[in-house]
Amino acid sequence: MTVAILFAIVISLMLIGVPIAVALGLSSILFLLAYSDTSLASVAQTLFSAFDGHYTLLAIPFFILASTFMSTGGVANRIIRFSIAVVGHFKGGLAIASVFACMMFAALSGSSPATVVAIGGIVIAGMRQVGYTKEFAAGVICNAGTLGILIPPSIVMVVYAAATDVSVGRMFLAGVIPGLLAGFMLMLGIYVVAKYKGLPSQPWAGWREIYESGRDAMWGLMLIIIILGGIYGGIFTPTEAAAVAAVYAFVVANFVYRDMGPLHNKDGDNISILRKPLSVVTVWFHKDTKQSLLDAGKLTIMLMFIIANALILKQVLTEERIPQMITEAMLGAGFGPIMFLVVVNIILLIGGQFMEPSGLLVIVAPLVFPIAMELGIDPIHLGIIMVVNMEIGMITPPVGLNLFVTAGVARMSVMNVVKAALPWVGIMMVFLIMVTYIPIISTFLPTLMMGPEVITK
Amino acid sequence: MGSNQQGTFGKIVNDIEETLIAFLLGLMTLITFANVVARYVFNSNILWAVEGTVFLFAWLVLLGVAYGIKHSIHIGVDVAVKMFPRPVQKIITLMATAACIVFALLLLKGSFDYWLPFVGKRAFLETEDVPMPDFLQFFATWLNDGERYEKLPRFIPYFILPLSMSLITWRFIEAGWRVMTGKEDLIIASHEAEEMMEEAGLNQPADGENGGARS
Repeated sequence: MTVAILFAIVISLMLIGVPIAVALGLSSILFLLAYSDTSLASVAQTLFSAFDGHYTLLAIPFFILASTFMSTGGVANRIIRFSIAVVGHFKGGLAIASVFACMMFAALSGSSPATVVAIGGIVIAGMRQVGYTKEFAAGVICNAGTLGILIPPSIVMVVYAAATDVSVGRMFLAGVIPGLLAGFMLMLGIYVVAKYKGLPSQPWAGWREIYESGRDAMWGLMLIIIILGGIYGGIFTPTEAAAVAAVYAFVVANFVYRDMGPLHNKDGDNISILRKPLSVVTVWFHKDTKQSLLDAGKLTIMLMFIIANALILKQVLTEERIPQMITEAMLGAGFGPIMFLVVVNIILLIGGQFMEPSGLLVIVAPLVFPIAMELGIDPIHLGIIMVVNMEIGMITPPVGLNLFVTAGVARMSVMNVVKAALPWVGIMMVFLIMVTYIPIISTFLPTLMMGPEVITK
Repeated sequence: MGSNQQGTFGKIVNDIEETLIAFLLGLMTLITFANVVARYVFNSNILWAVEGTVFLFAWLVLLGVAYGIKHSIHIGVDVAVKMFPRPVQKIITLMATAACIVFALLLLKGSFDYWLPFVGKRAFLETEDVPMPDFLQFFATWLNDGERYEKLPRFIPYFILPLSMSLITWRFIEAGWRVMTGKEDLIIASHEAEEMMEEAGLNQPADGENGGARS
C-alpha cells in the first residue's frame, strides 16, 4: 500500500513538470524519511554509488561519445549510400534501404533517437523526392530507429546489465539475432506494402557500386567489429571496449572521413594530413572536438542523473522488500512463466510510454528479475524482452522519444507521426510476442559463443 | 535555448563549465584507453586508472547536472502542464520548481552529513589506488596530524557531493526566478527534437505544411 503512495508521488511530480530524475529522487527521499530511519547521508551515498558502485555504467559515456563522433553526418551518408546500393533496387527500395541503414547505424550508436536523427535527417527528404508520402517515410524511420537500442552496442542493455548483474557481453550478443529479425520483418512489411501500392524502386547500381560504397563505409562499420570482437575475444572489458571505440571514432571522424576537425573543409575537398601534419596536435584543441565532447557530456549527464536517482528508488524498493512481496503475490496467485511475461510486457509497455527507458529499467528490472529467476526464465531472455518493450514505448504516445525526434526531423506534428508510425508498430508488436515466447531467438547466440548461462542468484 | 546568462560573469562561468565537461569526459576516455594500451603494448597497467576514471565520472555528471538545469537539458513530461492556460501553467511550474529546490536542499544536507566525517574523524581514509599529488600534501598537516598521505584522501573526490548539491540548489532557485519573471515557461527539456536537429545541423528550410505542433 505504502508503495502505491510512493509511485503516486512519482507520477504526480512528473505530471506537474518536475524533471524525471528529480521526481524519482525526491519521492524516494520523502518516502525514506517518512517510513524508515535511513539518514540523508546514506541517500547521498547511494547517489554516489551510481558512479563508484557500478563500473559497468561507466561504459555509457564512452558509447555516447563514440556515437557522437560517428554522427557527424559523413558516416550516415556513407552507410545510406551503401544500403541503397545493396537493397535499393527492390520495390520500395529506398524505404527498405533506410531500414537497412538504421540497422547499420544502430551498430555504431547505442541510442534510438540518435539513429533517427542521423539516418532520418537524410533519407526522409530523399524518399519524398522519389515520390513516397511524408507519412510513409516518417513512419518507417520512426520504427526502424528503435533498433538503435536492440542492436549492440546499446546503452539500455548496459543499464539492464548493471541493474541485474548479468554480463554486458552476453546482452550485446543476445541482441544481434532479434535486431536482425526485427529489421528483416520491417523490410518485409515495406516490401509487401510497396508491391501492393506500386512504390518506386531505384535502379540497380551494380556490384562495383556495392563494393565501392561498402569500402567507403567500412571505416565506420569497423567500430562494431572492434567492440564485439574486443569483448568476445577477451581483449577488453565492455567499458574499455567503449573507450577504445570512442578513440577509434575520434580518429576516423577527424583523420579518415575528415567530416570535422582541422582537416575538414566546408567548401570543397578535405585537406590531406600530409599538407597539414600539425593537425595531429591541433585536433585536441579544435572547437569541433570540444563541441562533440560537450554534446556527449550533456547526454551523459542527463541519463546518469536519471539513473542515479532511479538507484535511490531502487534502494527504497529493496529495503521495503517489495520484490519479494511481489514475487510471493504472483507465485501465490499461481502465475506461470507465460502469464508472468504478459504482465511484464504490460507494465513495461505502459511505463515505457511515460518514462525514459534507462530509468524505467533501473526501477523495473530489480522488481521482476527475482520472480523471473524463480520461474526459471533466462535472465538474458528477460533482458531482451525488456529492451523490445522499451523500443515500443519509444514509438507510442504520449512520451515516445522517437516520436518527438521524428516529428522534428520530418517536420510533421507529433500527432501525425503517431498515426504514421502506427501500422509499423503492429509489426513491432508481433515481433515482441515472438521474442517473448521464443526464448531461443535471444539465447541462441550467447549460448553458442559463451557457453550456457550460469545463474548466480 | 535556456541560456540566459547575465552579463560577462555568467558567460565566463558558462565557458568554464562547458570546458570542464568536455575536459573531464575527454580525460576519462583517454585514461581508460591508455590503460588498454599499457596492458597490451607495455605489458603493464595504470594502477589507478579504474578508480580515477570513476571519480572523474562522478565529477563530470554531478557538476554537469547543475549546468544542465541552467540549459534545461533534464527531460520530463510536459503534456499535462501544456493542457492548462498560461497563468495556471506558470503556477504549476513554480510548484514543480519548489519541489526541485526541496530535493536539492535535502540532498545538500545529506551530502554534507556524508562528507563531513571524511574531513573530520575519518580524514585518514584514503582511496585505494589514486596517488596523492605533492602539492596537495598540505592537507596532511591540516587534517592528518602531519602524517603524509600515501594515496589521495577520500574527502577530495567526495567533495563533489556537497559542492554540486550547492550548485544544483542555486541553479534551481535561479530557474524558479526565471519562471517567476516569465523568462522561461518550463524547467524541463521540452524541445528535444528541435535541439537535436540543431545539433545535427539539419536546419534546411523544409516545405513543411504542418510544423505547428512542435512549439
